[in-house]
Amino acid sequence: MTGELPIRAVPLDETALTLDELAQACAVEPGWVVQRVRTGILLGGTEAAPEAWRFTSVDLVRARSLLRVERDFDANDEVAALVVDLTEEVRRLRRRLRAAGLKST
Amino acid sequence: MEYKDYYAVLGVPKTADADAIKKAYRKLVRKYHPDVSKEADADVRTKELNEAYGVLGDAEKRAAYDELGSAQYRQPEGGGFRPPPDWGSGFESADGGADSDFFKDLFAHVGGGRRHGFAMRGDDTHAVIEIALADAYHGASRTIGLRVPQADEHGRVVTRERTLDVTIPKGVTEGQQLRLAGQGQPGSGGAAAGDLYLEIRFAEDRRYRVEGRDVYQTVPVAPWEAALGAGIEVATPSGRVSVTVPPDSQGGRKLRLKGRGIPGTAAAPAGDLYLLLEIALPPANTPQAKALYEQMARDLKFDPRRGL
Repeated sequence: MTGELPIRAVPLDETALTLDELAQACAVEPGWVVQRVRTGILLGGTEAAPEAWRFTSVDLVRARSLLRVERDFDANDEVAALVVDLTEEVRRLRRRLRAAGLKST
Repeated sequence: MEYKDYYAVLGVPKTADADAIKKAYRKLVRKYHPDVSKEADADVRTKELNEAYGVLGDAEKRAAYDELGSAQYRQPEGGGFRPPPDWGSGFESADGGADSDFFKDLFAHVGGGRRHGFAMRGDDTHAVIEIALADAYHGASRTIGLRVPQADEHGRVVTRERTLDVTIPKGVTEGQQLRLAGQGQPGSGGAAAGDLYLEIRFAEDRRYRVEGRDVYQTVPVAPWEAALGAGIEVATPSGRVSVTVPPDSQGGRKLRLKGRGIPGTAAAPAGDLYLLLEIALPPANTPQAKALYEQMARDLKFDPRRGL
């Protein structure tokens, strides 16, 4: 132990991130997030005003994955969304395989 | 400082054009992508690739890197490497793959230098923390080590080792992000530090399988326990519990223990624990055991393949 007071880690799903906080966590401009919410890639295309948007763990992981695919492969946002959707589906199926006692690699 | 050969990381010659570098990077980043790679060091390789491409994929940074790689700045003894004092001015600060000391020492200070005189919040940082499933049930304390870039008296950024004592609340799940406010990169000009995000991963545990907050556990039972029903004791992640095995249970039967999965939080209810019965056969390795099996074969008139 370091002797300092322990720092409490807060699960994102309890606090959730605002638009600016998500943009900061992904090191992008808020406009990048706004565009992807408006096209339905993030937050399921909510109709709410940006001030009311709240992002959880799943959204943060998804946003960072989108960003990586867009940057690594010069992909447009729709192609990146498709790749991330498929990746999430593969992860979900692998988790279910493991839960069912079937090994997945 | 040890020199890192980014061309070797990407497997391209120093004469490679921008297109060849991009192609090499994409090919390798796909190969080592954590969701598809079967390589053991995929994480490390991906970081190296991102770091190398962050430099070679940017014409300006690449030019500066090539200049640094020239003999002029190599130190004769030990193959060390010393960048010129004004190196890097005019370049953007590092993004992605910035876990390497080499990368940080070369690039990270540049952004800080350009921001001189402005108050700017520190960047958020991301890391992964591995915990045991039991920690998700009870909460945990962890001491984690971080490498943090910090400006020295000459305004250059050096990396500093830092440890943090972190309390992880109970009820966390795989993939969940924990936020440690103010524990990211320091701000400049008196502005606030960024936040640190920790992604939860569960250490491999052959006893348990987890899906969300639900936990699955295989429980061996004797044939007579499955056939006649029995009260058994099972060690679960939340401690020992008494469970009733219903009579006529077959292998694969699922017993649900409501609320005994990963504990709930303000945002989500507790998961369930599923016990999957697995019928363990006693070996027929004594005359008495053999006789019992023979008696069953004679008396039970049991055909397990009926209906096939």
